[in-house]
Amino acid sequence: MSIPTNPKIEQKRTEVIWKRSRKAKHIELNDHMVKVYVWELPVRIFHWINAFSILVLMITGVFIGRPFVSASIQEEAYYSFLMGWARYIHFFVAFLFTINLAVRWYWVYKGNEHATSNPFRLSFWKEAFETIKYYLFMKNNKKHYIGHNPLAQLSYWIFIGLGSIIMMLTGYYLLFEPQPESIYGKMFMWVAHLFGGDSYSVRSWHHLVAWGFIIFTVVHVYMAFREDYLQRNGTMSSIFTGYKLERKKEALGEQDEK
Amino acid sequence: MKRKTILEEVLDRGFTRRDFLKMCTALAATMGLDFSQTDQVVAAMEKNQRVPVIWLQFQDCTGCSESFIRSTHPKVESVLLNMISLEYSEVLSAASGHQVEAALEHVLEHYPGEYILAVEGSLPTDDAFLTVGGVSAKETFLRAAKGAKAIIAYGSCSSWGGIPAAYPNPTKAKPITHFVKDKPIILVPGCPPIAEVMTGVIAHIITFGKFPELDHLGRPKAFYRHRIHDKCNRRAYFDAGLFAESFDDEGARQGYCLYKVGCKGPTTYNSCAEMRWNGGVSYPIQSGNPCIGCSEKGFWDNGPFFVRRAKIPASQTTINPETVGAIAVGVTAAGVAAHAAVTAMKKKDEHHDRGE
Repeated sequence: MSIPTNPKIEQKRTEVIWKRSRKAKHIELNDHMVKVYVWELPVRIFHWINAFSILVLMITGVFIGRPFVSASIQEEAYYSFLMGWARYIHFFVAFLFTINLAVRWYWVYKGNEHATSNPFRLSFWKEAFETIKYYLFMKNNKKHYIGHNPLAQLSYWIFIGLGSIIMMLTGYYLLFEPQPESIYGKMFMWVAHLFGGDSYSVRSWHHLVAWGFIIFTVVHVYMAFREDYLQRNGTMSSIFTGYKLERKKEALGEQDEK
Repeated sequence: MKRKTILEEVLDRGFTRRDFLKMCTALAATMGLDFSQTDQVVAAMEKNQRVPVIWLQFQDCTGCSESFIRSTHPKVESVLLNMISLEYSEVLSAASGHQVEAALEHVLEHYPGEYILAVEGSLPTDDAFLTVGGVSAKETFLRAAKGAKAIIAYGSCSSWGGIPAAYPNPTKAKPITHFVKDKPIILVPGCPPIAEVMTGVIAHIITFGKFPELDHLGRPKAFYRHRIHDKCNRRAYFDAGLFAESFDDEGARQGYCLYKVGCKGPTTYNSCAEMRWNGGVSYPIQSGNPCIGCSEKGFWDNGPFFVRRAKIPASQTTINPETVGAIAVGVTAAGVAAHAAVTAMKKKDEHHDRGE
């Protein structure tokens, strides 16, 4: 005796796909060259909001940690709100930073092949090692990458991925710690146990990791200019337009491989 | 033998019932209770008997005892004489030697599960550092803890390890929570804790027969739920951006925020800014000294008193994050410049090789 089934439901069974790697669009210019649409609009918007957020958060953050200017009106606290504004801006931009990053995480799944990264492959680490050798001017087998090379991807995992998570968790803990009973307080009070238990340890993490972002920015900007200088493929303009100029063979070859 | 209730004790000492009610009202306020809850305190004091208290001191400086005897609301004599019966204390017991040790034995024997154990100071894990009369500190503590109704850790040493546990911690000192896991321990950190907080905690246990509400670290919420920073009388200057740059500048004279002379108020949970000290007269920040964060875990290792620093995780090293950060960025920039120079040279060589 079989269980009655609804054929309509049977047919509707869908396949769950973890990540559909979407190939980057390209425009053929001539027999040799193509314009590859590497950075889609959400990626570029993310990049610039993120860059802006980090800049503002760093300036206001250093001010909060070590106020480098004082209010111009002396004696009375009534007339000024310098630290107050620095903190407000810091908090507001922190929310912007968080929402921005959330959208980018979504785009890891929705975006094209260059919007994602998979460090759980052996080839990722092998190629990252080749890239390190390349940057140390050693003999290497580094391929030409249209998107990010594995070492660059790794740096994003560490700084933009892990670094941001540490900054957000510790930051929201510090923001909400005066109201441990509020809903936001309850959401973040556990963070203290992860970062040393007391307010001071959490704060220390927040201060130290912040400078990691600045070191990352220096190296990141340099590497982008260097790539542009060596490859002449429009790396610098690509973060505004989205397009990189690539040899047809390489652009299509790399795509065929996947 | 029937013991007298707290009310009976008070009346026996020549106070009137009116005095007793006043005492209860002050007590309720100290415990952070609403005025309408005063009757609960009165009822408890009328019915409950005095609670025996054993006060043990280990690796401490007696500062907590000194703070305790400066309690003004409730006055320490009313706590000591009316509410509790302090059976054993190295500082306050009139008896000494065998007599006072006998008093301790008496409590352990006759009041198991009834007495409160107050502990001041941390315990060394190496017995060689603290053995009194042939009995190690650990043994003394564990024996007293066994039959205790509640254990109160007075001061930062017994709560977190404190100064004895500060780097390099020669005695391998640990807080009392390290040695007893099966008993509720209430932490009252501070170096020393505020007198009214110390008596308030005891009063709460006597009144309600249970612990006050504790936070995630085991401290009573009534006294440790706010940061000094959020209740600071100089907070307006912080938000305004007016800071004393040194202890003798115009800002310090005007009463500006002490953040830049190293105030630890933003990371310190205590009720100094609300309860204040010495009967509510003042507290360090009000008197012009930045908070040193004495009630926080590991405060002695959290950097020097008058600078704000960041601690490198899992170490005792504190650094100035801005200075070290700026140097690190400078080194990175120099590395980048060197790398760029090599890159440019290599590229030139390649052009040269190709005969361009």
